[in-house]
Amino acid sequence: MPFLDPSTIARLGALPIKARVIVEGALSGHHRAKLHGSSVEFAEHKEYSPGDEIRHIDWKAYAKVDRYYVKQFEQESQLAVYLVLDASGSMEFAGGGLRKLDYAGLSLAALAYLVIQQQDKVGLEVFGDPAVEARVPPRGRPKHLHDVLAVIDQVMTGGGRGDDSATAALERIAELSRRKRSLIVLASDLFDADDQTLAVVRRLRAQKHDVSVLHVLDPHERDFPYEGLTVFEALESEHRLLANPAAIRTQYLERMNGFLGKVRSELADGGVDYHLVTTDRPLEQTLLGVLTARTQLGPRATP
Amino acid sequence: MSFLAPLLLLGALGVAVPIVIHLIGRQRAKVVRFAAIDFLFATRRKTSRRLRLRERLLLVVRTLVALAIPLALAKPFTSCARPGPKLERGPQAAVLVVDDSFASGYRRDGRTVLQRAIEEAGLLLHQLGPEAEVAVVRASEGADNPGELTRDHLRVRDRLHGLEPTSRPPDLTRALARAAQLLSGSNHKRRTVFLLSALAKAGFRPGERPWGDDGPALAVIDLADKQPLPNRAVTRARVEPDPGAGSRGIAVTAEIANFAREPAQGVDVALRIAGRIVARGKLDLAPGQRTDKRFLATLPAGARAADAVIELDGDALAADDRRWLRAQLRDEIRVLLVDGDPRTVRHDDELFYLEAALRPGDRSDTGTVLTKATVDDLVGSEPAAAAAGAPATPGARGVDLDSFDVIVLANVRAMAAARVAALERWVKAGGGLLVGVGSNVDAASYERTMLPLMPQSLRDPIDIAYGAPREEMASRAVHLTKWEADHPIFAPFAKDAPGLDQASFSKIMLLGPTTQVADRKVLARFTNGAAALVEASSGDGRLMLWTSTLDRDWNDLSIHPGYLPLVQGAVRHLARRQNRTRADEVLVGHSAPLATLDLRKLEVRDPGGGGEVFDDKRLEGRTSVRYGATERPGIYRVVGTDRTGVTRDRDELDFAVNLDPRGSDLTRIEDAALPKSGSGEGHGQGQGQQRVELWHAVAAGLLLLLLLESILIQR
Repeated sequence: MPFLDPSTIARLGALPIKARVIVEGALSGHHRAKLHGSSVEFAEHKEYSPGDEIRHIDWKAYAKVDRYYVKQFEQESQLAVYLVLDASGSMEFAGGGLRKLDYAGLSLAALAYLVIQQQDKVGLEVFGDPAVEARVPPRGRPKHLHDVLAVIDQVMTGGGRGDDSATAALERIAELSRRKRSLIVLASDLFDADDQTLAVVRRLRAQKHDVSVLHVLDPHERDFPYEGLTVFEALESEHRLLANPAAIRTQYLERMNGFLGKVRSELADGGVDYHLVTTDRPLEQTLLGVLTARTQLGPRATP
Repeated sequence: MSFLAPLLLLGALGVAVPIVIHLIGRQRAKVVRFAAIDFLFATRRKTSRRLRLRERLLLVVRTLVALAIPLALAKPFTSCARPGPKLERGPQAAVLVVDDSFASGYRRDGRTVLQRAIEEAGLLLHQLGPEAEVAVVRASEGADNPGELTRDHLRVRDRLHGLEPTSRPPDLTRALARAAQLLSGSNHKRRTVFLLSALAKAGFRPGERPWGDDGPALAVIDLADKQPLPNRAVTRARVEPDPGAGSRGIAVTAEIANFAREPAQGVDVALRIAGRIVARGKLDLAPGQRTDKRFLATLPAGARAADAVIELDGDALAADDRRWLRAQLRDEIRVLLVDGDPRTVRHDDELFYLEAALRPGDRSDTGTVLTKATVDDLVGSEPAAAAAGAPATPGARGVDLDSFDVIVLANVRAMAAARVAALERWVKAGGGLLVGVGSNVDAASYERTMLPLMPQSLRDPIDIAYGAPREEMASRAVHLTKWEADHPIFAPFAKDAPGLDQASFSKIMLLGPTTQVADRKVLARFTNGAAALVEASSGDGRLMLWTSTLDRDWNDLSIHPGYLPLVQGAVRHLARRQNRTRADEVLVGHSAPLATLDLRKLEVRDPGGGGEVFDDKRLEGRTSVRYGATERPGIYRVVGTDRTGVTRDRDELDFAVNLDPRGSDLTRIEDAALPKSGSGEGHGQGQGQQRVELWHAVAAGLLLLLLLESILIQR
C-alpha cells in the first residue's frame, strides 16, 4: 500500500486526525497484533494446581490434551514515553516541501497517538527558544493526548526560533525519569548538537532508558542543489553569505557527510536507536521504521 | 599626452556599463534562508573572501577594459625631445641617404651601424607622414638607386629593410648629389635630404659639393653620435715567390693600419694558406699608423698555387680584418744564352760552365729553361725585321725576345744599334740582361753602340799576370772581395765565403766613368779595387755587368763552389718580369683582367657561387677579357675549356678581390666640412620632437586585461 506524501498529510485538518492517519497508515496490515495486550502479556502455560484461578484455565488446551492448564501472564507497568521536539530556528527550513519542524511535529504526534492508544504515558519537551519552551508531563489518559497534540500544534504554528540545544531538555527528562525506565524520542536536525548533547543522549541510554533519535533533514541540506550566485541567510543568526554554490558544493557535502557520519557512529556506539530521515520521506514509513527498530530491540521496548 | 581622435574618448562613458552590471548582478543573486549555514561558513569563509575579491577584481578589470577601448581608439601619443632634425608632417619631398658601405657593418652597442640607420630611417618615414614623397638612396660606391620619389611608403620600407652592408666603400658626395637630383623633380616646396651615416671623412669627395646654392636642405643623423669609431684593417697585401725560403717559398707582405686615436697593442696577425694558419705575428700600432708585416711561408706540397688570407684579430668591423691573396709559385725562368764565342770543343765553349751551372745535372726541375743562341740568331728582333715579318738574313732562325725573362750576353761582340735598341726596349719592359765580357768585347765598340745595355761603360781589360814569371802568376791574380752581403745574389754566401774569395781572376775589364743609368750599384769588387759586378735599372728591367768572363778564360771561378749559386742567384734576380705579380690587386667593384690563353670558354665563379661565362664569341680574337662582377671580396675561381674540349680549373687565372681600403678609415669628418644645406625650404638640424605613439601599449594592456578577465571568470 503506497504511503501518503508528507505534504498531503500536512494539509489534513487537525493534528489528531493527522496523527491518526499516520498511525493507521503505518499499521494497516502490518504487525497489527502489536496494538493488543501490551500491558498484560501472555507468558506461558502451567499445569493447573489447586488454588489457581479458574478463569485462567485455558479451555482450548484442555480440549486438545484433556488436561487443565492455566495461562500465566506477565503484568507490565505503564511505560513513560518522552517526546522531545526541536523547535529551534534551523527546524524552520523548508527546501521545497515540509518544514523540518512540521515533519518532526507530525512524527511525534503520531507516536503520541500510538502511545496513548497503548495506554502508556506520553510526555512532551520542546526546546529551541527559551521563550517558547513547552513541557507536558507524561500521562496515560486519553484526554492527555489532546494536551500533547495541542502543544505540538501550537509549536508548529508558531514556527521555529532560537538556537538552544537539546541538552537542557534531555537532562530534565533524565531527572524526571530517574527511577523509571522510559522511552525518549528526540526529533531534531541536531545542528545545534554539540558533543555535550550527544553525550547526554548516550548517558540516558546508559541509564537504561530507551532512546530513539529521529534525525530530520531537508533533502536540500543533503544534496545542496543550488545553482547560480546565491545569498545564503542563516536561520538562527544574522549571518549572510554570498557564494557560488557550484564552487562550494563539494566542500559542503564533504562536511555534511562528515557530520552525519560522526553523529551516526557516536549514537551507534552508545546503543542509541538512530533514524536519519528527510522531509520528503513518507511519515508512515518513518513511523514504521521507528516501530520496527523498537520491536527488534525487545518486547518491552515496543511503544 | 595628446590624442589623434579625442572625440572617441566619449566612449569612456561606457565605464558605467561594467559597474552597473556588477551592481545589478549583486542584486540579482538569489536569497536562500538556509539552516546548515554553519557548514557553508566553515568551508567557505575563505571562498567567500575569494569570491568577493574576484568580484571586485572583475569589476576593476572590466572597468579598465571599458576605459582602454576608447583610449586606444583615440590614439594617444606623447612627445619627447630627440637629437636630430625637426620634423613636420605633411606634404613634402624627402630622400633618405643611407650609408650601406661595408663600414656600415661596424658593430656598436650590439647592432650594426646600418641596422641603426634602418631603424632611424623607419622613424623618419613615420614622422614625415603618409603625404611625404620619399626615396631611399644607398650611399655605397656604384649603388643602384631609384629613379623617382614615391608615396608608397610600404615599398620604401621594404627597400630599407632589404639593405645589407655591401662590400663597397662609401661615396656620400655622389649619393647626396643623386638625392638632390631626385628632389629637383618634385613639386613640393619642402625638400629635405636626410643623411644617415657614421660620416666617415673618406666617404666625402674633397672639394666637391653635392649641390649648388639652391639645393635642398640637409639633415644629418650621425649614427656614430659624434663618437670615434676605432678600427683596424688589412689595407694592402702582396705575395711573391721567395726562393730563399725554398722552391715552394713565398713571401707575403701585409699592410696593417690602425685607424684609431689610441694605440693598438699586440694586434694578432695571421697568415692562412689553403685554410690552415701557417704563420702568426703580433704588432704594436701607434694611432693612425700603417705598418708592413712580412710572412715567409711555403705552399703545400704538390700545389703550385694556393689561397692565402691575412687575418687580424676581430674588431668592431670584421669585413676589413681579412685580405685575400692568390699565391703562385714562380714559373720557370726562360733564359736566352747568347754565345759570343761558340766552339766545337764543348768545354772550350763560352757557355759550357754557365749552362752547367744553370742546369746542374741537366735536370728538368731546376726552374730554368735555357735557350742557346748566337748573335746572329737575334737578327729577327730588330724592328725593321719584325715589321717585315721575316728575318733580315735568310736562314737565320730569329728569336722572340718577349718569350724570355733573362738574356745573357756572354763575350758577345758589340751589336748594331738597331739590335741594341730592340734589346733596350725589351729591358725597359722588364727584362733582365747580364753581360759577361771576354776577348770578343771591344771597349771602344761597346762605347759606340752598347751603352744602353751597360750599367757602366767599359775600358780596356787589364791582364794582371801579364809579363809575370810563371811562379808568380797565381800570386798576382786578384780575388773577389767586398760583396754586398744583403743583396739577393749574395744572400747564400757568408762574408768570407771561400767558394768566392778563393777564385783567381787573371784578367778583368775596367770600367769607364759613371753613367747616368739609374740605381747603378757595384755589388762586388776585386782585391785591387776594380768593380767585379755592377747592377743598374733600366725602365722596368735590370742590367748587370760582369767584368770578367763567364767561363775559365780569364778566371777560375767556374770551378769553384761559389760559381753555381752566384749565377743562379743572378739569373733569378734578373728575372724581375717573371717575378712581378701577375695582376695588380683587384678591388671590389673593379674589373679584373683575364688572359684568354687561347681557350674556347672561360667561366669565372665568385665566392658566393655566382659568376659569368665567357663563351667562344666573346673570347675570339682577344688575348684578354675583363671580368667586372667583383661585388664580393674573396677568391674568384676560373674554369677554362681549351680547343680540344677539355675543361679544367685554371689555377693560374684565379684571382683575389679585396675591399677598397679607403672605406676602412672611419675618422669622422669635421662638422665644418659637411655639405651645407641649400637655400631650399626643408627640415634642418636642431632639437627634434619625437612623437611616441601610446596606443600600441594601451592595446597591449587591453589584451592583457581581457586575458585576465577570462581567467577570473573561469575561477
